[in-house]
Amino acid sequence: MSTHLATPSTGKVTFGGVLRSESIRFFSLNSTRVLILVAVVLNMGIAVLGVWGVGSFASEAPPMAGVPDMTSPEFTAELLGSGLAFSQLILGVLGVLLMSGEFTTGSAVSTFLASPQRLRVLGAKALLITILSALVQLISSVLTYLVCLPLAKNYNMKLDFFASHFQNVLWYGALAVVMAALIGLALGAILRNSAGGITSLVALFFVLPIVTGLLTMLADWVQNVVQFLPDQLGMSLALPQSYPSDLELWQQLVGVAGWTLIPLILGAWLLKARDI
Amino acid sequence: MIQAQQLTKKYGAKTVVDNVSFTVQPGMVTGFLGPNGAGKSTTMRMIVGLAKPTAGQVAVNGNNFRSSKHPLTEVGALLEAKSVHKSLTARTHLRAMAATGGISRSRVDEALELTGLSQLNRKKVGGFSLGMGQRLGIASALLGDPQVLILDEPVNGLDPEGVAWVRNLARQQAAEGKTVFISSHLMSEMAQTADHLIVIGRGRILADAPISEFIDDGLRQTIVRSSNLDPLMTVLAADGVQLTRLDSTTLRVAGPDSESIGRRALENGIVLSELRPLQRTLEDAYMELTRDEVEYKSQVQHDAVAGGTH
Repeated sequence: MSTHLATPSTGKVTFGGVLRSESIRFFSLNSTRVLILVAVVLNMGIAVLGVWGVGSFASEAPPMAGVPDMTSPEFTAELLGSGLAFSQLILGVLGVLLMSGEFTTGSAVSTFLASPQRLRVLGAKALLITILSALVQLISSVLTYLVCLPLAKNYNMKLDFFASHFQNVLWYGALAVVMAALIGLALGAILRNSAGGITSLVALFFVLPIVTGLLTMLADWVQNVVQFLPDQLGMSLALPQSYPSDLELWQQLVGVAGWTLIPLILGAWLLKARDI
Repeated sequence: MIQAQQLTKKYGAKTVVDNVSFTVQPGMVTGFLGPNGAGKSTTMRMIVGLAKPTAGQVAVNGNNFRSSKHPLTEVGALLEAKSVHKSLTARTHLRAMAATGGISRSRVDEALELTGLSQLNRKKVGGFSLGMGQRLGIASALLGDPQVLILDEPVNGLDPEGVAWVRNLARQQAAEGKTVFISSHLMSEMAQTADHLIVIGRGRILADAPISEFIDDGLRQTIVRSSNLDPLMTVLAADGVQLTRLDSTTLRVAGPDSESIGRRALENGIVLSELRPLQRTLEDAYMELTRDEVEYKSQVQHDAVAGGTH
């Protein structure tokens, strides 16, 4: 064949190479940086508002009998997670865009010419968005804690980083965000369309809980279904006081795993089977 | 080398590529010629595994490209202009593509330099003209110094200098022993670039031959003009010679070459005011081949074709 291979490499495609390639593109996009910033700021802002609101209300009105103490360490810790739904939404949108962007811009052609093994690309994207969304949520929870600490002290509300309440917010919050991001990625692979993917994500996390919430008034069994909705699973894991659940921990975790893996497997199958 | 065997692609009831078999050899430029909608792009997408054949198979260097371990050094392809995220710069796009196969950054710079894009450091691809998009597509295709180069309508939107550059690039790559497969709907472009032609129309192969065969095929024709045509027609009349009188002073002669026509006229003392051999151009051959295979036929074009070949 060719006698002069000026190329200083074999050009062998590896998972690490695809991951590097995906990272270069993902972090070069302004939309990525803006969305991450918005997620962190919203998470902090909503928590600050929560602590300030509850604190100032409780300091004026003395505790009443029969009403749970909103300034208890459990509730204070969970106030720091009150922006969780927005983090899920924003990282979920990033997940959608990471995949749908390939098809809306036509860059899928370049991507799958460089790596014809399509599942390797999906795997690299899934790993990338998992690490990214976990890190964003963990960092934003820690920042939120640091910002809220002096505020809570001011109102005599107790905050303990290492107590189980905040640890739930920290770790299960990150899990909930990773789940949303991977559902977003799968929706991007299934629908190949940014608007459609984001709309479906919002419907799943925001509209479906409202609709099913109304239906619970009609039939009791609906309540069991509601507990397995992704929004409810994430909330009840991270914020168990505010969103109590009848499910065992293992049932909740199985639920999260199901919501994460089943759409991804469907997306993987469609990505492999369909034409680009 | 690209080998397609009974390759077929259907979208619903519509057959876009119909039982197509061909081989694209290394060391030469193979043109893939056909009217719009003939199935060129679909065939190329099947070669690189972006579209799945409904039936048949295609191999690149003996293997299915979907399982290639070295895709960037095996195939470089320009399939659609601007198959790039619009918010990226050309350099970022190429760096990301190179990272997939562990190709060095210096190679990215080389590709940018080669395609004249190195000055556009901060410009986003979304703001590229069609020609710049084509150049970036070609840069992506060359990134891995691939054995097989597949270019779908590469000269679309390029200025004359760019067209000449693509032509040289294709010839040079072929001279290095690489497989070069270029599609076009313009015969004139292929005539200057390709060594071998595969002509496709409505998803079927119409011709697959060296380019010389397209030109030599058919009868030699000469236009002769003289104020004294009648005696000339008498002396030229012979077996296998077709004489067509176009008007009172113009004659079309099919068969003998222009030199022997001129000699017969001299021998018989007939003054000629014009003696012009008609080149059967590639364009004519192509029009003839694809006349019935054009997907989107315009009446004007149809008339022009009829006028040009009869």
